[in-house]
Amino acid sequence: MESFFEWLQGLSIANWIATDESIWSFPTILFFHSVGMGLTAGVMFIVCLRLVGVGRPLPISSLRTLFRIFWWGFGLNAITGSLLFAAHATITGNQPIYYAKLSLIAVGVVLAVPLQKFVTGDASDGIIPAGVRGMAAVALAVWVGVITTGRFIAYLQ
Amino acid sequence: MNLVHLHLLLNHVPTVGTIIAFGVLLLALTQKSDDLLRASFALFFAIALVSLPTYMTGHSAEAVVKERPGVNLELIALHQSAALLALTFMEATGVAAWFGLWQARKPTGRSKWAVPSVLLLSVVTIALMANAANLGGEITHPEILAPGEAPAAAVGALAPASLREAAIRYYQFHHPNAWPTLEALHFIGLSLLFGVVLVGNLRILGFMRNAPFIDIHRLLPWGVWGFVINSVTGMLFFVGQAFQYIDNVAFHLKVLFMLLAGANVLYLTLFDDVWALERGDSAPLSAKILAGSQIFLWLGVIYFGRMLPYIGGAF
Repeated sequence: MESFFEWLQGLSIANWIATDESIWSFPTILFFHSVGMGLTAGVMFIVCLRLVGVGRPLPISSLRTLFRIFWWGFGLNAITGSLLFAAHATITGNQPIYYAKLSLIAVGVVLAVPLQKFVTGDASDGIIPAGVRGMAAVALAVWVGVITTGRFIAYLQ
Repeated sequence: MNLVHLHLLLNHVPTVGTIIAFGVLLLALTQKSDDLLRASFALFFAIALVSLPTYMTGHSAEAVVKERPGVNLELIALHQSAALLALTFMEATGVAAWFGLWQARKPTGRSKWAVPSVLLLSVVTIALMANAANLGGEITHPEILAPGEAPAAAVGALAPASLREAAIRYYQFHHPNAWPTLEALHFIGLSLLFGVVLVGNLRILGFMRNAPFIDIHRLLPWGVWGFVINSVTGMLFFVGQAFQYIDNVAFHLKVLFMLLAGANVLYLTLFDDVWALERGDSAPLSAKILAGSQIFLWLGVIYFGRMLPYIGGAF
């Protein structure tokens, strides 16, 4: 694993992100990573809050567009996150909290699939099944966890 | 003009402004006028916004004044914690006033608690602002003391020690997880606020058109709670580490974008055309421009927040 991290960090793009002193490298990628966070977690907070029972008159079917934003945000963060990781792979790759974050993201993304299926389905404006409500509640906690573990990566080095 | 000058200009707004807004509120209640009531709530909200840079520029003024010979440093510290206490109540008044405006849009009619809570909070705010202003005046104007009157520093004032800069800084670094926990909360609040901003403004821009705008009503307070989380955590960063921010261009721009976004939120809350949008309706162009600009302004807040360490050199 260590040799993979060293190879990754040795790539010229990773080296540029880590060593360039302008605001156009690491800081700009970090900004886009924050925007992606606002899109994915922000959209998920709204969808899950609504599914849990908050903001009741809003039709669930109106949330369909939001999943497109969620996946765009997720794609943006997969790219920017990989770039940020590559720049400091030998450090971040040895932090347990980084793997906690990745695991939580995996759970969050796996939960997004059935939630999207319910919201885009024909029955979305009917009664919300207990299973969907339960998954939404778990997803809320998971995305709070993703943000928290992500923030701690910077401080637990 | 510099930030010290700005402090001397802005510091009249929370003291004089809250008294005027309180007067409008009393007039609204005696005249039983809903328009005046909304005007007073809008005023309180706007003053709460302006109070943030009023407090922040105080740290710029402190940096200049404390270099002068004969300045009472204890008085500055008292003024600062009195101002932070007053600011806390000012922001609570602003949030309660926003809820008052929001409830006026409620499909089921107005609830009863907005007026009493704004009344109560604003009375406390006026008293605390007067206290903070009085202490601030004594820093460079000892002539306002009556002959033989002791400076406030000697007799004590409403300036809790727990709100002292040094106390907050001690808390931030005494516990190793305090700062990262505040950061995590700041980013959770950001996502919550940004999610609500997206949903509300995307509907105005023409997405999610099968929902009437009024259906988004119940979601809006969640955006405000996100903003409250971020103003509390953000102020804790600022108070404990003011030296990192007061000369930081990225921070100045972040606050400017935040104030503009706040004004935009106030306008959209008051703007009837938006609330009249039924299922399938398209918003007027002016509303779309405001909605688009609001998403842009919050992105600007995130941008300059993220750039604090890189453009300005904060950590």
